[in-house]
Amino acid sequence: MTSKFYKRLFLLPGLLLLIAIIIFPLLFTIRVSMANWNVSQSGLDWAGGANWARMFHDANFWSSLFRLLYFSFITTTLQYILGFAAAMYAWKGFASRRFFRVLWLVPLMTTPSVMAIVWRSIFREDIGAANGFLRLFGVDPIAWSTQIFPAGVTITIAEVWQWTPFMFLILLAGLLSLPKEQFLSADIDGATPWRTFWSITFPLMAPISIGAIIIRLIEASKIFDSIFNLTSAGPGNATETPAYYLYTRGLREFQISYGATMGLMYLILAILTLTILGQILARVSKPRGL
Amino acid sequence: MKGSTVNLNLHNVSVEDEREVILKDITFDFKPGKIYVLIGRTGSGKTSLMRTIAGLIEPTDGEIYLGEERLDEVPIWQRGIAMVYQQFINYPQRTVLNNVEFPLLRSGISKADAKVQALAMLEKVGLTEFKDRKPSQLSGGQQQRVAIARALVRNTRVILLDEPLMNLDYKLREQLREEFRILFKTTSNSVTIYATTEPSESLFLGDELLVMRQGRIIQHGKPNYVFENPSTIDVAQIVNDPPMSILDGEIKGGRVNIDGSINFEVPNHLKSQPDGKYKIGMRASEVILGGNMSNSEEGSVSLAEVSGSETLLYVKLRIGEVVLQLEGIHDYHIGQRVVISIAPERIFLFNMDSTLCAAPGN
Amino acid sequence: MSRIFKYSFIFIWSAFVLTPLSWALVTSFKPPAAVNNGATFIPWLQFQPTLDGWKDITGISGYANLFPPLINSATVTFFATLVSLTFGCMAAYGLSRFSYGWKHYKNPDIIFFFISQRIMPPAVLAVPFFILLKTLHLLDTKLGLVLVLTSGLMPIVVWLLVDFFNQLPKEIDEMAMLEGCNPFEAFVRTILPLSKPGLTVAGMFSIIFGWNDLFFALVLTFTNVQTLPVAVVALNGTVTPFWTLCASAIFSILPLIGLAFVVERFLSKGGFAGAVR
Repeated sequence: MTSKFYKRLFLLPGLLLLIAIIIFPLLFTIRVSMANWNVSQSGLDWAGGANWARMFHDANFWSSLFRLLYFSFITTTLQYILGFAAAMYAWKGFASRRFFRVLWLVPLMTTPSVMAIVWRSIFREDIGAANGFLRLFGVDPIAWSTQIFPAGVTITIAEVWQWTPFMFLILLAGLLSLPKEQFLSADIDGATPWRTFWSITFPLMAPISIGAIIIRLIEASKIFDSIFNLTSAGPGNATETPAYYLYTRGLREFQISYGATMGLMYLILAILTLTILGQILARVSKPRGL
Repeated sequence: MKGSTVNLNLHNVSVEDEREVILKDITFDFKPGKIYVLIGRTGSGKTSLMRTIAGLIEPTDGEIYLGEERLDEVPIWQRGIAMVYQQFINYPQRTVLNNVEFPLLRSGISKADAKVQALAMLEKVGLTEFKDRKPSQLSGGQQQRVAIARALVRNTRVILLDEPLMNLDYKLREQLREEFRILFKTTSNSVTIYATTEPSESLFLGDELLVMRQGRIIQHGKPNYVFENPSTIDVAQIVNDPPMSILDGEIKGGRVNIDGSINFEVPNHLKSQPDGKYKIGMRASEVILGGNMSNSEEGSVSLAEVSGSETLLYVKLRIGEVVLQLEGIHDYHIGQRVVISIAPERIFLFNMDSTLCAAPGN
Repeated sequence: MSRIFKYSFIFIWSAFVLTPLSWALVTSFKPPAAVNNGATFIPWLQFQPTLDGWKDITGISGYANLFPPLINSATVTFFATLVSLTFGCMAAYGLSRFSYGWKHYKNPDIIFFFISQRIMPPAVLAVPFFILLKTLHLLDTKLGLVLVLTSGLMPIVVWLLVDFFNQLPKEIDEMAMLEGCNPFEAFVRTILPLSKPGLTVAGMFSIIFGWNDLFFALVLTFTNVQTLPVAVVALNGTVTPFWTLCASAIFSILPLIGLAFVVERFLSKGGFAGAVR
């Protein structure tokens, strides 16, 4: 029937355009991961699984993965909690909330790579704002870029600043679309705000939360701009994530094949993790009845 | 095409997938100028049947003809069928007038003519003064009138109404029902199919009643005839609201026994029935409260609900439950002891396989 | 107690949001001495503001001119968003209204395929994209960058809009079809006009992610199509002073801040509701 034609008309242009853009890079990456393309010889020779074997013994790659796991967990959790709190306050309850809604959205609109430059100027040990501010309280200057923990803190701060508004926006829009009836009945029952939150708001927000967390994890996993401009993975490789490690091996040292291998491994692991995580989150957050 | 009178024919139409049967072997000849009422419980296939005719569901088997034309091979947008949903579906971004004009413009009528016809239709449904409002600024009843105006304005060969009064309150339902009868009669060229769960609506509106259950048409005929002669217990339950009460009984030696506790002389309309076990049906409005004869029995109230200007009383007897419909609003508490009596001349007799044996008639 | 907590949260969070922005703004007006001799915070009191940093990035002092990159960024973002939105909203509508299938892959799998395009780190894709664009003679062109960005933006659009369309009653487009619209006309004439909130959100995210992309622009364009983030990062790579860098930072984020107002307006009108479910 003709409706088949229309059914395809909707999906296929977008899908095919996407496949057309992505198919060559993907196939190329798979092929090149089995070659020996590096700075001294370019071209698609055959190296079999050599790059894959090398990757499995590359401690730097695996430790960067664990670092990422740890790091994206912390930043996403912080962003979710802070974003939810901000969304709750901007949802209702104080007079000038429209002003704060705009203000709290602004970081989302800024360019991460550019903001990383600003953050770097803030965390300069000698002339930066952070140490200058701390000095006012008599705190000794902190070596933000040469110590592991402070370096991690600077990246976390930059990421939380940049992306909490993403959570804030999604969660606020979700809150604004919630049905009002259930809150009314909770008011009549005289439930405390805290109880209302846990027994009504939070369960109702679960589906939106899962979507927002998954997307944020995907984006967080690619974290590159702020590391590139803020710490350059330093000190040593203490803030090196897979995206940065790939960039170093693949593009800076031009080990194209090895970079491709790690990229594919990363893709496989990310899809697995996200699928499993999505299922777990969906199960855990099933509304438990009101 | 417009104004021509053609039959709508369904031949062995089925819709099923691996998991369930949605429609099974529907064969029916719908004639123009008549109102066909589909009655059945929620999930009996009424909506699916309409959606199949409209083209929103593809039949897995069978054919649909509109006159000579093989309708199930025509895309939805060329079928020329109008439909009104339970939910009040209008285009939210357009005014009432634009809503009603839209189908006319799509069928190629000039802007000026479309406006004239749309205004005339709005006059008919009493919405002229609201023509410049958006649907969201109207009440539920008014929104549904807009939807009906949109369906009727094109004068299509088939009009489908899927429980259009379902989401309206009681008062409005009765009022719109009156209007419908007049509106539909003026569109006498169309096949009009009207789905409902309410027996009273079907009696009021229908020229022909189709009783549906589990995706099949289980009985059809003039509404009054079906109402008086339900072919099975299932039909009797569907065309009676509240449903008919059914008790086990037997005829023996010129008397009717219901589980040994109620017994009375065989009434005239059952005189020719042989002795044996039967199922005895009685309408809620025909069970009597009170009495102290052998056709009476004491029981306890298990539920009393007020519906409109009537009270429904569910009485638990030793032998089963009986529903009574009482005029007026009465106050009963659960567990209260009451005596009910059965009117022998009004009982329906069904065989043990639940097919109708004898009906009291009018 | 909870009031104290609430207002301290609002105050501290707002201060945190404002910190880097105000620091960059203040620094962009600083003379060298106010930067190099340790942190200063308050103009006029601690230093005399100058426009040197701003002159450096607007071509007045001849140091750098960020206006051409601004126009490049705007053009590329506009077209990438337009393409993503056009194809993305059609695909999302299809995925919301019809069921597709190929073997045991069904709609959710297709949606996940779209989203998964965002998983791959750009560093991996950079080389194949480089080779691809070189073969097509699209390296260092706006069209090439638009195509590459589209592959990252369309998934966001699809993700947001599938849920949005799911919330619009199916009966509306069914009605339009019964009244003589083919499915495409039904979509354009009845669903699209109702989708302004959803399209705004999707367009906004698309603009944000497109505007802020650094990596692809860095690798796939050189001089002809330098975008704003690339230009700013390039300044950062040379010995550009902090006041100029901060001016360039403010310059490059300013155009998008207006978006925050647009978004807020939608939120408060309630038009946003359901756009992100």
